[in-house]
Amino acid sequence: MMVQHEPAVRVEGLTRIYPADGEPVRALAGVDAVFARGTFTAVMGPSGSGKSTLLQAAAGLDRPTQGSVWIGGTELSKLSETKLTELRRGRIGFVFQAFNLIGALTVEENILLPLRLAGTRPDQVWLNQVIGRVGLTDRLRHRPSALSGGQQQRVAIARALASRPDVIFCDEPTGALDTNTAAEVLALLRGVVDEHGQTVVMVTHDPVAASYADRVIVLADGRIVHDMPQPGADRIAEHLAALGRRRAVTGAVTSAVTGSVTGEGVVR
Amino acid sequence: MTSLAWRMLRHRPGSSAATLLALALGALILTAMGVLVESGLRYHPAPVRYAAADLVVARTDTTFTSKDFAGEINRSTVALPEGGTVPAALAGQIRELPGVAVAATDENIPVVTAVGVPLSGRGWGSAALTPAELVAGAAPQRGDEIALGGAEVGSRVDLVVGGVLRTYTVSGLVTGDAVFFTDAQAAALAPHPGQVSAIGVRAAPGTDLDDLRTRIAGLAGDAHVLTRDDSGLAESSADRAAAGLLIQIGASFGGYVALLIIFVVAATVGLSVRHRRRDLALVRAVAATPGQVRRMIMAESALISVLAGVIGVPSGLAAAHWLTGELTTRGFLPAGFPMLPGALAGPAAFAIVLASAVLAGLLAARRVSRIKPAEALGEAAAEPAGGGRGRLIGGLITLALAGSAALAAVAATGQTAMGAALGMLYLFVLAVSLLAPWINRAAARLLAPALRAVFGTSGYLAAANLRANARGTATVLTSLVLAVGFGGSVWFLQNNLERQAVAESRSGLLATRALVAPAGLSDSAVAALRAVPGVRAVTPVRHTTVLATLMGDGESVAARAVDPAGLASTVDLSVKSGSLAALRDGTVAVSRTQASMFGWDLGEKVEMRLGDGTAIHPEVVAIYQRGLGFGDVILPRATVLGHTATNLDDEILISAPASADAALRQVAAGHPGSALVDTAALTGGLARDLALSAWLNRMLIAVMVGYTVVAAANTMVMSALARRRELALLRLTGVTRRQVRRMVNAEQIGLLGTAVVLGGAIAALTLSSVVRALTGNLVPYVPPLGWAAVLGGTTVLALATTILPIARLLRVPPVGHIGIKE
Ligand SMILES: Nc1ncnc2c1ncn2[C@@H]1O[C@H](COP(=O)(O)OP(=O)(O)OP(=O)(O)O)[C@@H](O)[C@H]1O
Ligand SMILES: [Mg+2]
Repeated sequence: MMVQHEPAVRVEGLTRIYPADGEPVRALAGVDAVFARGTFTAVMGPSGSGKSTLLQAAAGLDRPTQGSVWIGGTELSKLSETKLTELRRGRIGFVFQAFNLIGALTVEENILLPLRLAGTRPDQVWLNQVIGRVGLTDRLRHRPSALSGGQQQRVAIARALASRPDVIFCDEPTGALDTNTAAEVLALLRGVVDEHGQTVVMVTHDPVAASYADRVIVLADGRIVHDMPQPGADRIAEHLAALGRRRAVTGAVTSAVTGSVTGEGVVR
Repeated sequence: MTSLAWRMLRHRPGSSAATLLALALGALILTAMGVLVESGLRYHPAPVRYAAADLVVARTDTTFTSKDFAGEINRSTVALPEGGTVPAALAGQIRELPGVAVAATDENIPVVTAVGVPLSGRGWGSAALTPAELVAGAAPQRGDEIALGGAEVGSRVDLVVGGVLRTYTVSGLVTGDAVFFTDAQAAALAPHPGQVSAIGVRAAPGTDLDDLRTRIAGLAGDAHVLTRDDSGLAESSADRAAAGLLIQIGASFGGYVALLIIFVVAATVGLSVRHRRRDLALVRAVAATPGQVRRMIMAESALISVLAGVIGVPSGLAAAHWLTGELTTRGFLPAGFPMLPGALAGPAAFAIVLASAVLAGLLAARRVSRIKPAEALGEAAAEPAGGGRGRLIGGLITLALAGSAALAAVAATGQTAMGAALGMLYLFVLAVSLLAPWINRAAARLLAPALRAVFGTSGYLAAANLRANARGTATVLTSLVLAVGFGGSVWFLQNNLERQAVAESRSGLLATRALVAPAGLSDSAVAALRAVPGVRAVTPVRHTTVLATLMGDGESVAARAVDPAGLASTVDLSVKSGSLAALRDGTVAVSRTQASMFGWDLGEKVEMRLGDGTAIHPEVVAIYQRGLGFGDVILPRATVLGHTATNLDDEILISAPASADAALRQVAAGHPGSALVDTAALTGGLARDLALSAWLNRMLIAVMVGYTVVAAANTMVMSALARRRELALLRLTGVTRRQVRRMVNAEQIGLLGTAVVLGGAIAALTLSSVVRALTGNLVPYVPPLGWAAVLGGTTVLALATTILPIARLLRVPPVGHIGIKE
């Protein structure tokens, strides 16, 4: 791994407006953030606050309406779709909220897919290590449809790790997992940061999950409202509760379960 | 990429099978058509009649030259329908040339034996060209002597020659199956006085044939000098006509099918890509470049089309074999016509199918590059309901074009209208396919109250689905409209043509009796009939073909040659302008369709060529309505005398009271091979002839309509199967299985109603403008059973192809479909 001075990821003035039939939805309203190399950041916030949108824009999966994203020294908005994909392939791993796997392929093929698309030889030692740590050694020939939700999530993590990317973005990777499995997955992520100097940015609703991170960013209505060193699960929970109370007072209808949030102009 | 594509295909057997079916059927049809075209194109008549001649001088075709707009010379060569002739005197000139051993003229005299077997009559001088050799006896010496095979020397044989029964004495036995007269007798009997069908040349040993050929060509004018290998071209054979028919059927029909295949394949591949939006977005998100995804989709299409070719091409060859048998039993092909095994047609069909599938994949893949990887993350992989602005504009433009084509079709007459109407049919279907998202949405809004009233909650859900999936169901709507529009117009067009032809012929025939003879009738029959007391009028009729240029191309036009005297008492052509009374040598009457298609006006001198290539410039003296029943061109008989293959009449129309029947029958008895018939039988015969040629048209149209129906069924099955997740969700939220089924039925009825209304309107418009152009009636005839077939067929199709797959989906517990599969 090259030693570089620039941060792993940097976003500046990030705005994302989704066109809608009625009023356009402003999912991100000018977010600035820097994610240093070898750090583990948790992104938190109420449902609909723009966490997934931030992650997708930062990972080059979606193009922001305004603002810019740097992965290492590369500014993404100038890249063609193909160049962007090639950059993602080599330097970014992504674990989605759901529907991570391609049903037509086996577990092993799913894990190897990015490498195969890139046409690079898999590093067998590393792969065995990754597959062993996510505990999938005996499920490699199975189809995703034969796996539990948590197992599917672990396959997705293995896929994200397979190419040893600089940055791994995870959108609620533990949302579907029981406490023990979640702990294993989180330890795995912590491990790649500590042992391999990779960078992890993870969206989560769970204060316990967030406590594995070095730093916690809290979003509300498309803006960063808190950015703090990881203060422990209890303090995180308090922050979130306080945020919830404030939103209730300003009258926004929030439902953490359905995610039906009208994000416009709540916090000013 | 290929192995990934392969895995993707296997994972979606339903939609892969649908695409495979569409492609394999396409390959089958194209291969079968290709075999016809290939056999027609590569048909080379073997030299038989002139197998012993070194060179043959004959006129086999005629060439039209014209200048196009750019000033370039455009040549169009057409085979001569009545066979060409060369001047008999040319033989004498050729004989003078050094190196010529024999230059013999050859006649083709129609001869029928007393039992009705047709033979070719020739002069003895041409026997050397075949060669026909004496087995026994001697060559014919006197006018009443003949040489032929299969008889006894010295026996007497009755032959009908030139429509007259004559008795000959067999002077010798020869090989082959021709009848040889003396040269003098042959010249007297020949259909073209002063002309012969060919001159065969045998060179003296040691002569340079190429040089001789050049020297003869210098004398021959526009006639061809054929080498022995090509001399089959100078024989008038049923095989050659059949070869032309094969090319015509295969090419015109194959072209339509190729278009249909591209449309159908584009639709099914597009649909399968659309249904996999989430998978493809995921592949994009996990680091496939847009190019890689495009390649994967194209690899998928290519894989399926290779498989389709492997299945379709051999079945196509088998189908061609079957079709050859059918065409032979129905008399379209002479028995033993050399059909080729399809060594070129098979690979060509394979290539077309592969190319159209890859092209369709490319088009579908273009849409994929617009899928954003972030779409993989959405909960419901719903795509935007509306279409793009470009699609809307394109659709509106196409609609406007279709509208103006409709106006043109209504305003025009004749063939112009037919062209406009078919163009209109395609344009309307294209417009529907482009505007389908908006049509669907508008229909959903319109139908919502009705669906709610009839189906309750299910109807409410159905209307919501129709509105939300307006774009996804576009393909289904289009294929239904295509099936209804196509089936409803092209199929019934055939009915209308037949009916009209028979009706015109029936109401246009004033004559009560007709004398008919397949082998032809001579002038003596006409004279005999005219002499029968009580006969008011007698009209001898010849069926022939003339050639005229349409936009630089030589076109064959069905024509009749009649004796104008007494014509008014035997036929009523429903003359629209001018008068048949003015019909005499140097004039012509044409049908309205013909006049409008070729732009001919009353009083104009028009250019055409007779069936043997002779150019004429007759003046148009009448334009009549009943072209379907009587042919599009009517010439006075005097104009074609000596210019048809037999120079005999095909039928003689008689206007006479019933009391004259006995006397008429006696005339028939005096002309062997002829029969006196009621003119009602004549129209019956026409109907039978039409029904025969209609069999071919019907079968080809049925294949096309059937293909669109299969395509429609495919898209519906695919769409139904793609809804597994959505339906599972509905059931998990408490919608019962019955309600789901009712919802799907309600949706399908909404979609079907829209399609039937649109397709029906398009079909009605097409049909009525074509029928109006051809017959003047605005209201087309549609057999009641036809209505039932189109409407019932579409309904059954739409319900079966949706309800059965949905029922299968519903049998599995809903949680089974909720997982990650889609
Ligand atoms: N494709 C889209 N089209 C329109 N609006 C969207 C789209 N995706 C997200 N949004 C809106 O943007 C806002 C932010 O969405 P986002 O998915 O980033 O929220 P989130 O913080 O990840 O929520 P959750 O915790 O529920 O996953 C929401 O109001 C959402 O409705
Ligand atoms: Mg989210």
